[in-house]
Amino acid sequence: MFKGIVLTIIAVWFTLIVNAQTASTGMEEETNIYEKIFDAPLHLSGEQQMTFTALYQQKPILVALIFTRCSGICSPFLLELKDNLQQTDDKSFNILVISFDPRDNLEDMNNMAQKFGLENDPQWIFAVTDSIEQLNQSIGFYPIWDNETGQFDHDALLVGVNIEGYITKKLIGIRKKHDLDLLISSVNNVFSPTYRLPNKNSLFSCFNYDPKTGKNTPGLGLLFIALPAVLTVLMLVSISYFVRNKSQRMDRPYSE
Amino acid sequence: MESIKLRKITSVWILAVFVLFIVSIVLGILMRLNQGEIIKQNSVTFYTNMTTHGLTMIGIWFVAGMAAINYLMERYVKTSYTANMIALVLTVIGVLMFWATTFIGKFHAGWTFLYPLPFKVMWATWATPLFLVSLTVLGLGWLIWSISLMTQILRKYSISQAFAWQHFKKNPSVETPPFILISMITLVGVIACLLAAVVLIVLFFAEFFSNGSFVNDALLMKNLTYFFGHTIANEMLYLGLAVIYELFSEVSGTPKWKTTWYVAVAWNCTLIFILTAFFHHLYMDFVQPEGFQIIGQLASYLASLPAAGVTVFSVLIAVYRTKIKWSLTNLLFFIGVAGWVIGGLGAVIDATISNNVVLHNTLWVPAHFHTYNAMGNVLFSIAFFYWFSTQFTENNIKSEKLTMATLTILLIGGIGFLLAFYVGGADSVPRRYSTYPAEFTSAAPLAVIGAIFATIYLIAILIFFFNISKRCLKVLSSPS
Repeated sequence: MFKGIVLTIIAVWFTLIVNAQTASTGMEEETNIYEKIFDAPLHLSGEQQMTFTALYQQKPILVALIFTRCSGICSPFLLELKDNLQQTDDKSFNILVISFDPRDNLEDMNNMAQKFGLENDPQWIFAVTDSIEQLNQSIGFYPIWDNETGQFDHDALLVGVNIEGYITKKLIGIRKKHDLDLLISSVNNVFSPTYRLPNKNSLFSCFNYDPKTGKNTPGLGLLFIALPAVLTVLMLVSISYFVRNKSQRMDRPYSE
Repeated sequence: MESIKLRKITSVWILAVFVLFIVSIVLGILMRLNQGEIIKQNSVTFYTNMTTHGLTMIGIWFVAGMAAINYLMERYVKTSYTANMIALVLTVIGVLMFWATTFIGKFHAGWTFLYPLPFKVMWATWATPLFLVSLTVLGLGWLIWSISLMTQILRKYSISQAFAWQHFKKNPSVETPPFILISMITLVGVIACLLAAVVLIVLFFAEFFSNGSFVNDALLMKNLTYFFGHTIANEMLYLGLAVIYELFSEVSGTPKWKTTWYVAVAWNCTLIFILTAFFHHLYMDFVQPEGFQIIGQLASYLASLPAAGVTVFSVLIAVYRTKIKWSLTNLLFFIGVAGWVIGGLGAVIDATISNNVVLHNTLWVPAHFHTYNAMGNVLFSIAFFYWFSTQFTENNIKSEKLTMATLTILLIGGIGFLLAFYVGGADSVPRRYSTYPAEFTSAAPLAVIGAIFATIYLIAILIFFFNISKRCLKVLSSPS
């Protein structure tokens, strides 16, 4: 009976552990890295059909997720990307601009390509897919429809996919050329340093960065590095005090 | 005098360590054969083997040192059999859990399990929590054992006596045996690094269960990982040195070593500096403050030099122009000290910031730590195992001759195996690659050479195993 209870407790506890969240850290740029992108069927301009796999096997790709009716970040996002890429002569990759809005069709995408003057650039590919849900899921991209504005609430997301179909790096927001270079390096399997963005959920940082002053101040995390040594000293002194006090008590002759 | 129960449990430790050691060497040879393109392992199998090899080796040579000092400490203070037994049981459970995560769950984040790697699940979902639980079980057992031994020392010696502070002055009233001093220094370091592991595991679990509402600081986690990992890897060497200070003179038939002022100073310095030397693992972390990097380099020098200097001096004085009785035990100690010093020099070279820029994460790293482990600490422990096994069983000349031949095989295998690492490191061959790109032309041939010599080393270990385990089994089967 007792064994059964203990085993049940262990089983329940272990199930809880296994089901605990392991990947959701609230750091969107870090999710889904080194996972394979979904092999979605793509409809490309010029009535071409192609799978994602066939596309990334040709060259690594930078995937830009947009929708054509966007009145917000999509246009400046693509414009900045185009400007940054014009500064480099690197043709080792393609850029896939894909719509995550099911209402968009190939004509919409072609119009967008023309708007940005990219319709004849072979490095730029504009496409739609029927499997956007699965594709979004594999990237970790979750646009939310807002009925009031008639717009999607979404990140400006650029995803690097290498020639084997693995997501190597993600950039959220409109980013400078330096960050883009790191993304391009990563899809070409070249090492690029990575760092985690500041987050309110990170309680024990060793240093806290103040963007106003541009300076780091010591954080709570530094105390944790010293903690084991401090605990050891406390333990040493306490044990010594306890055992020596005890032995003195035992050595003392009984005088009453 | 030690009890029969202590003899028996020490025998169990020796047998367990040997069995796990042999399995781990085989895994290491398979890794080198794969790097040498003689066999084909997929990358998951390679990194699973690497994780198992690394953590098992660290664990077994730590417990080997602990079992040895526990056994010898009985000469000075009464030790707790219960704590010893708890450590044994929890070690067995912990190792089984850990091997389940790697061999069944395919967990392969390396023995350093650097954050956030364990959370980037590329293995069975249950493997990450079970791996953390296995570390908790192992750490708990070892912490209980270490605290118990430290408590027993403190029952007899005050803090200042245990650290031999009275030896800083002339004519101390009480003498602290060197064995007690080094054991105490080491146990304090062990407890500190195990507590670092406790903090680390708590933070891992906190993030694991937080559903994303709590994330750890990567810099803090890396500092804690190496506080634990680097320190325990060094402390286990010091456990071996405590055994040398106790047994070398005894088996050599020379006067017992005594604690002098310089021995006391050197070991007290080692205690302080070893706890900060781990910063040298973070030289490449651009966010680590420069001050910590400088502390890392200075502490790396200051932690190794006093203890090494005093020990080498003591060993050389003991053998220079002195008629001593050589046996396998003190020969292994002597060669082990040489291996420790050579590996230590390799480590100090790597810990120098200007060199680290070139040597970081090359085969130089496994070269130096395999030197002071495979040809240092392992030899200290095998020396103790051999000495222990001959205490209660007949020792005939034939077996003595065989063991000398075995020692020669061990040396040939060990040196060849290590040279393949050093040459690779000097040639900038990176470590932790399951297969090498064609650009590293020397990498695969060196890996094959390494595997061949490691196999020779394994043959020597197998002979030691059969020789020593036979006697340990006799101890186990003797009436209580």
